[in-house]
Amino acid sequence: MNGRRAVSRAALVLGGAGLVIGAVAAWLVSRGNPGNMGLCIACFGRDIAGAFGGAGFNMGAVAYIRPEIVGLTLGAMASALAGREFKPRGGSATLLRFVLGGVFMLASLVFLGCTVRAWLRLGGGDLSALAGLAGVVVGVGVGALLLRRRFDLGRARPLPAASGWVGPAIAAALLALALAAAFGVKPPLLTVTPPKAKTTAEKAVISADGAVLKPVGAKLVDGAVVASDGTVVSGAESVKAAKPLPGGLRAPFALSLVAGLGLGVLAQRSRFCTIGGLRDAILWRRFDLLLGIAGLVVGALAANVALGQFKLGFAGQPFAHADALGSFAAMSLAGLSALMLGGCPFRQVVMTGEGDADAGAAVAGMFAGALAAHRFGLVSTAAGLAPLAWPMLGVMAVVLAGIAWWKRDAEPKGAGAA
Amino acid sequence: MIEVDARGLSCPLPVMRTAEALGSDPARVVVLVDSGTAKANVSWVLSERGYDVSVTEDGTGWRVAGSRASAAEGA
Repeated sequence: MNGRRAVSRAALVLGGAGLVIGAVAAWLVSRGNPGNMGLCIACFGRDIAGAFGGAGFNMGAVAYIRPEIVGLTLGAMASALAGREFKPRGGSATLLRFVLGGVFMLASLVFLGCTVRAWLRLGGGDLSALAGLAGVVVGVGVGALLLRRRFDLGRARPLPAASGWVGPAIAAALLALALAAAFGVKPPLLTVTPPKAKTTAEKAVISADGAVLKPVGAKLVDGAVVASDGTVVSGAESVKAAKPLPGGLRAPFALSLVAGLGLGVLAQRSRFCTIGGLRDAILWRRFDLLLGIAGLVVGALAANVALGQFKLGFAGQPFAHADALGSFAAMSLAGLSALMLGGCPFRQVVMTGEGDADAGAAVAGMFAGALAAHRFGLVSTAAGLAPLAWPMLGVMAVVLAGIAWWKRDAEPKGAGAA
Repeated sequence: MIEVDARGLSCPLPVMRTAEALGSDPARVVVLVDSGTAKANVSWVLSERGYDVSVTEDGTGWRVAGSRASAAEGA
């Protein structure tokens, strides 16, 4: 055999990449990102959609064009171009991938995290993520069985160059909008959650410097929110217990952008993938990508401990709930849909940067899924699942089963003896 | 020689199709890929199975060739 080392070079690269990604994610939290949410493709994709959906879609609290996602796309693009790996391609069940992206997002918003954040939550001590992670493993396991039954969404083809550039162009447009907002020029029609704003149980909204934003015309009087007609909207105790709006929690724009760009390069070069890590271990006992996941958790864990952000427990974790069964069910669908897409959402964003229009369709599906999730009240809260979540999960399970049935047993293609 | 056209296939199909082709233990196999990740993964699986790997650019993608001397062929 040609000399195989005990640990392959790829494994070391992935482990190192994971360490960096996890540590940077934890560091972004210390600089202002939501707890255990230094990087979350689902939550941040939702926040970007929220900037466009606004209050009309019930997304006023989650409206912010996250520079991390923009950076990931553009960083991956730059890395791909430099490595001659920018390949405009598409045409593999594109609209179906859009649907799968939507399913993934809806499922992630039930669990409150994508497959990356699930590991980051664990690295922050949030043990309630374990149920979700068990679900991901099961979902990927089911997907692995499907792959053995020749599940195949079909062959993509090289596309004209412009088609591959649409994804990066959209990212650049989002960057321009985000830059404008960062410099205090809010783009018209877009919503931006006020930074560090808080909301009370009675849905009053207070800005970082103590101004009452909602209801309009209300003021803070002796620590209580008093409406213009004198009624007390939220008492002083309620105001003290006000919770931060997720969209208002963000690291400084430049930090988020640079972090995203760097991680985009790293992820593109290393092929980091949280789904592949589980899939390859199950399918053929290849552990390189799994080492990437291990690095992610260790990096986040170490950084969280060093930054004093580590909190071990099941309850009271940031932007999380303790409904184990709901988390498990949701993430099994997320894991399966991501496997069907060929990679975790991090990979879908990176591949969009590489010119893959099918991956771009999946990301677009995630945006659409986020709009639907908030518009129809399907997103979980700290208290648990929304009333419609379980029926929705049931519907999505049927949808995935239908896709699995339709795309199974693909004709053997590609192999020929010469 | 066996040729595998893995162009445009989603992960992990390039590796799966390659592994299938290796089932007949060919002395030489060429896999066509068009993504950097597939190029890396197919190179890995060929190398794992004892093939000498060479990668050449080919139009919009790459040809990943694996060859090994087999006892029967003696070269």
